[in-house]
Amino acid sequence: MTKRYVLVHDENKCIGCQACNVACRSENNVPESVTRIQVRIEGPHGNFPNLHFKYNRVSCEQCENAPCVKVCPTGAAYVADDGIVSINEKKCVGCLYCVAACPYKVRFINPDTKVPDKCDFCKKTRLARGESPACVSVCPTDALCFGDANDPQSEVSQLLDTKTNYQQKANLGTQPRVYRIPSRKGGIKA
Amino acid sequence: MKLDRRTFIKGAGASTAGCMLASLPGSIAALGAGPVSGSAKHVASICEMCSTRCPISARVVNGQNVSILGNDKAKSYGGAVCARGGAGHSLLYDKQRIVKPLKRVGERGEGKWQEIDWQEAYETIAKNLNRIKQQHGAESVAFSSKSGSLSNHFFHLAKAFGSPNTFTHATTCPGGYVVAAKAMFGSKAKRDLGNSKYIINFGHNLYEGINMTETRGLMKAQSDKGAKLVVFEPRFSIVADKADEWYAIKPGTDIAVALSICHVLIRDNLYDREFVEQYVEGFDDFAKEVEAYTPQWAEAICDVPAEDIRRITHELAAAAPHAVVDFGHRATFTTEEFELRRALFAANVLIGNIERKGGLYFGKKAKNYNKFAGEMAAPVLAKPGVKNLPKIEAKRIDMVDEQYALIWSSGGIYQSILTAALEAQPYQLRAWVMSRTNPMQTMTDRAKVVEALKAMEFVVACDVYISESAAYADIILPESTYLERDEEIADKSGKNPAYYVRQQVVDTIGDTKPSWLIWQELGHQLGLSQYFPWENMQTLQLFQVDKDAALLSKIKQDGWVSFGKPLMLREPSMVKAFTAQYPNAKPVDADGTYASQLSFKTPSGKIELSSSKVEKMAPGRGVIKYREVTMKKADELFFIQGKVAVHTNSATHNVPMLANLMSNNGVWIHPVTAGHLKITSGDKVRIYNDTGSEEGHALVTPGIRPDTVFAYMGFGSKNKELSRATGRGVHCGNLLPHVISPVTGMNLHTTGVKIAKL
Repeated sequence: MTKRYVLVHDENKCIGCQACNVACRSENNVPESVTRIQVRIEGPHGNFPNLHFKYNRVSCEQCENAPCVKVCPTGAAYVADDGIVSINEKKCVGCLYCVAACPYKVRFINPDTKVPDKCDFCKKTRLARGESPACVSVCPTDALCFGDANDPQSEVSQLLDTKTNYQQKANLGTQPRVYRIPSRKGGIKA
Repeated sequence: MKLDRRTFIKGAGASTAGCMLASLPGSIAALGAGPVSGSAKHVASICEMCSTRCPISARVVNGQNVSILGNDKAKSYGGAVCARGGAGHSLLYDKQRIVKPLKRVGERGEGKWQEIDWQEAYETIAKNLNRIKQQHGAESVAFSSKSGSLSNHFFHLAKAFGSPNTFTHATTCPGGYVVAAKAMFGSKAKRDLGNSKYIINFGHNLYEGINMTETRGLMKAQSDKGAKLVVFEPRFSIVADKADEWYAIKPGTDIAVALSICHVLIRDNLYDREFVEQYVEGFDDFAKEVEAYTPQWAEAICDVPAEDIRRITHELAAAAPHAVVDFGHRATFTTEEFELRRALFAANVLIGNIERKGGLYFGKKAKNYNKFAGEMAAPVLAKPGVKNLPKIEAKRIDMVDEQYALIWSSGGIYQSILTAALEAQPYQLRAWVMSRTNPMQTMTDRAKVVEALKAMEFVVACDVYISESAAYADIILPESTYLERDEEIADKSGKNPAYYVRQQVVDTIGDTKPSWLIWQELGHQLGLSQYFPWENMQTLQLFQVDKDAALLSKIKQDGWVSFGKPLMLREPSMVKAFTAQYPNAKPVDADGTYASQLSFKTPSGKIELSSSKVEKMAPGRGVIKYREVTMKKADELFFIQGKVAVHTNSATHNVPMLANLMSNNGVWIHPVTAGHLKITSGDKVRIYNDTGSEEGHALVTPGIRPDTVFAYMGFGSKNKELSRATGRGVHCGNLLPHVISPVTGMNLHTTGVKIAKL
């Protein structure tokens, strides 16, 4: 694998404003009834006045050990050279195994194309033009960082080396490439 | 501009539009949309999905979509764009958007419309307005508009017509702090959040009511510089969540904490004595007044522990001058806004953060900046003036009381239209011309706004939708959206001069016109041609840059051009960098700053902490003072509102992409209060008071004080034309009383309500 694209979501800096959600829709022509990415503001958790929200990015986790790829009978779901979990629409037979297998529930059937769809880090659009994914480029508070984790000099590598981070449902062994910097209750410590 | 013509969204309006849409005359759904076409290359322009007006970069993609991103050239915006900005194209080709002039054919507000052509629209308006002018004087026509880029053209028409009655939305939102700043500093102040080390915030919800540079500045200060943020707010908002300390202050009592901070600063000798001696007038009177405002006194009023107020004040002073008490934005919490916003400014003055990094500063426009630089560091834009405009003898309707003198030229008291229309006070208004303004949502006492509109002989609305207010018009003029029009160069100077410009990205859809053209053409029809000498926007732009084509081209190409280095007059490092850049710069003071050059446009030339001018305007208000206000009855709950990141006040709730993200507002209610009323989350509830009654659903959450309920504003529209917004959620304006606050003229967004389970 030449590159290992990862995304870091800093929950301290995220304000749940949905700029990412909208930018992704526009960039990738995502139909209204479905979504590739959203940030769910969950909570407030805790007891008054010691409360906090959780800013939960919900999108494809780009698993290194991807269940959707394992169950795909035709190879339509595959991991590309860049580590991005991708979809070959021509090979898809619409069996929905991948939708069922995803432990993060982020795969959906695109009502226009009738093919499974999900976040691909804007692989076919912005990434192909050498730009960062739409969500990353528009984020008002710079809560997202995208790059090649194989490059130790990259910003993502630096972040992952220096900040406490976690992956969702890591216990399943899926090895997600979306990393999260947990918010520290009471003030921002990025 | 390279044009790329393709078919846009096949069959828009035909296949998927239901019966309701097909019956909305003048809409894209009814008329069918042409292909979307425009620049396939990125065009630098300016957003208009809210009033911040961020620089953007937009292009048409494959004739199907418009990609809207931030403009990287504008550094403080970081190339970012919020959800509203990114969704601009969703408004552009929304099937419910109005793209043909309409005239009312049923009763006013009944919702029966007929498409007409522009000439008929202009003729009808001119006939009616000229008749009213002839019979009752031009002053009986009110003109109101969202403030900003094109309101100049609209208010120019009002002046040419001869009416002094022009209004912006100031008194429904920011007017309070503008008036307070004018009284104290003589001009508006800005805040340098990005460089601040300690920030005290009174419910200025910058993480939901997004103002891109300020939101980014606050996050930068917190995340990169480790600034401490203290928030006083009755609701657990996003900014409260991101704070180091959050105090669920009792609604309407912010002023007690603010005054108490001033008390501690003075009593514990934490204030900047040198700064006060040099720059401040009226300190002694102020100090005498705040003697009584101890933290213990404040604690009893606001539920904030006295010891915390004392400690926070000491922390603030320790971080000074790179610290700030945020003076807020929506200044409609209580009727004592003038005192609250002045008290917040006073705390800043006491810590001497004026023109210091992380504190308050004043905008550096080209003219002033060049004086310091000793050369033409930045071009000065010319202002086209029209000579011999008619002299208007009539007084404005809000000029009944001298105490409001500071708001007359800052947007006026918008809600005074209601009193004039319904009670002929001070005289009868008979017509109302509106441009991109939605008083039905932003004013208060919706029923009264309806009455006022019905009482008018003639109403005109210029908008992109049949907004809740436009629904009561006689004539609706469809404005081109911001993606379809060119505008004048705008000044966006901060610490150094900066200009940017709005440019057309997409060819006009339907039969719409940019509003500058609408008002010019209407001016011709009204017989006022001599006051509209410019040919088009290009001639105006060239006039602005004094025919410097290279400069105009640069501004258009980059979309954002800033000049020189950031300058704060009392910040040594900035002054040093500035003088290094400009060899002919004004000589600096002994301490390496321009501190001695700092002056204020007040009667004394100093910061007026206490003001004899204000005392004369509004007896008893010269010195900042606490007055008890009654916000609700004993058996009621406080009702407060706020902004959400995906919508703009009263304007975007029908935009498809944004309506899809959020189309309803829950009523936040504390679990204990909800328990007493046997309400659980999701229950249908009635929320009511003497002003009105609304139905919505409960959102039971610990993120609100037990004595308070909250709802995001702008929802619950009531006219059938905004079908995605109508009947969804609670309409806040229907529960808020009609009030004109002292001195500022602000309306009021805090009141009492009762809640019942349905």
